[in-house]
Amino acid sequence: MTDQLSKRVVLWGLVWFSIVTLSLPTVIIIGASFTSGDIIRFPPEGFSLRWYWELWQLSDFTNALLRTLYVAVICTLISLPVGTLAALATVRYRLRFRRSIQVYLLLPFTIPLVVSGLSMMILFGEMRILGQLWPVGLGICIINLPFMIWSVSASVNAIDPDLENAAMNCGAPPVQTFLTVTLPAVMPGVITGGLLSFILAFNEFLVSLFLTDSRTVTLPVQIYNSIRSIITPDLAAVSVLYILIALIAVWLLDRLVGLEIFLRSK
Amino acid sequence: MNPVVELTRVSKTFGDIRAVSEASLSVARGDFLTVVGPSGCGKTTLLRMIAGFETPSSGEIRINGDRVDVVPPYRRSIGMVFQKLALFPHMTAAQNIAYPLKMRRFAPRVIPGLVKQYLELVQLGGLGDRRPHELSGGQQQRVAIARALVFSPDLLLLDEPLSALDRKLREEMQLEFRRIQRELAVTTINVTHDQREALVMSDQIVVMDQGVIQQAATPQALYRQPANRFVAHFLGVTTLLDGRVVRVGDDGDVAVQVGDTVLQARGVGQALVTGAPVDCAIRAERIGMAAHGQPGLDNTVDGVVLQRIFEGDRVVYVVRVPALGDAVLSLFDRDADVHETTTEGQSVRLAWQARDLMVFAKQT
Repeated sequence: MTDQLSKRVVLWGLVWFSIVTLSLPTVIIIGASFTSGDIIRFPPEGFSLRWYWELWQLSDFTNALLRTLYVAVICTLISLPVGTLAALATVRYRLRFRRSIQVYLLLPFTIPLVVSGLSMMILFGEMRILGQLWPVGLGICIINLPFMIWSVSASVNAIDPDLENAAMNCGAPPVQTFLTVTLPAVMPGVITGGLLSFILAFNEFLVSLFLTDSRTVTLPVQIYNSIRSIITPDLAAVSVLYILIALIAVWLLDRLVGLEIFLRSK
Repeated sequence: MNPVVELTRVSKTFGDIRAVSEASLSVARGDFLTVVGPSGCGKTTLLRMIAGFETPSSGEIRINGDRVDVVPPYRRSIGMVFQKLALFPHMTAAQNIAYPLKMRRFAPRVIPGLVKQYLELVQLGGLGDRRPHELSGGQQQRVAIARALVFSPDLLLLDEPLSALDRKLREEMQLEFRRIQRELAVTTINVTHDQREALVMSDQIVVMDQGVIQQAATPQALYRQPANRFVAHFLGVTTLLDGRVVRVGDDGDVAVQVGDTVLQARGVGQALVTGAPVDCAIRAERIGMAAHGQPGLDNTVDGVVLQRIFEGDRVVYVVRVPALGDAVLSLFDRDADVHETTTEGQSVRLAWQARDLMVFAKQT
């Protein structure tokens, strides 16, 4: 009886400790963003949407936001076909050098972001494309491609190895087989990977820092720059914006694929 | 009548491994043929070559008289039920069944009618809107059968689709497959490692081992007249004994020495010569316990019961026989009275007819 009780107490204690420590920063930043005062503090002084309005007025931030969205879209658009085909090819087909290709594709993940950022800065500089916005999307896509590949690979592994044979046996030529059977069967992984790519690109700081300048600065870099000068509650408002976008992504994922995929290991 | 499928000396090698070696077989229209053998015997490779997923290294495959070695799978008129069924997870049962009709360009107006007809054939009327994961194992099997048959293929291939089911459902589905196959009179090749399934379902059975076809015959012929030691051992519960021919008589009568005893037996297949080493095989159900009144049998030996295994409708005895070089024989007993009285460690007398002891020349 007392054993049961103490077990419950310990378990619930751990659960609540985790929930509080995980959510506390978020709660504080959300609270601070609604302050009417001039400095970030918790609990906030009064309640107002003043800093959201200020943020909206700051063309530096709104432009950075638009640029970040542009970068994230570019990154996702490249990730989707490249990651999907790479995952299908390396998991499904008996390729030569399959192991080596897999390792090569996952390489960006093992290299420190500082090194990736620096080398891409040098490379893009030599190619005379540094200073434009789309190479930032491309660079972020390259370093985050492993996530896309993993996500699709998980879907590919889960499908019946005879699925494509079954389609051909039903009379579908190879292209039809790919479009009507293979692609729909791995779609959960593609959607998951696509959303992941978008969020990661939206958040990417270090590589963006190397690849952007004052004309192409993205939101995470803009925030960093602001922190270095003066910390005002508009930064809290930007953070809330980030939290919102992450929540929208999770909601979309739940609607399109279902969160069980993540909660249940198969 | 020309056979629907005809394989002529078909071989398939993967690197150094010879998966199928010089296999020849033919299937008559409307027949149900089962290829049976242990896992890795090449039966699945054989089936995949017929379906078109593998290309033979040599030999030729004809379907309705036309060579198909180079015809891609999607241009062959073959329906297939896969081992793990391979239903399309993103489509409903009805969409799965409609898929081959769409891909094979059936007129759109006939498709709904055909889908409905085949859903009813496999007794899934009303479940067409369910996704595969919303159906039970048996229902998924039925969708897979309907998808394989809906376009009236020349040939149906079954790649061990029943192996994952539990025994009761498997036996139910065996009869169901057979019913549908008879109803549509579709020529069928089934692949399995389950000897019982082969015997129950087939018109013809092909036994394979190590890539080589060992014997092709009807179920009865295969069971009664196995061509060699492998086939004899693969079907039924069979005891194998090493022996030596001491005398060859007329009409296949032979006498063989096993251990210290000379037994009367029946020669099978190749001609036997005196002095040659041979394999002898006897089925468990052919050995009687002389203790409960079976006099006048050709062979009689004494042994000791090592194990007594109760299986409900029968008892299996494992008996060691010193006179046969300490050979261990398995036999069944269906007599309830003997079940009660015979115990482990007891001495018993075994007896059987000469024709039930099959003798094969040693395979080299």
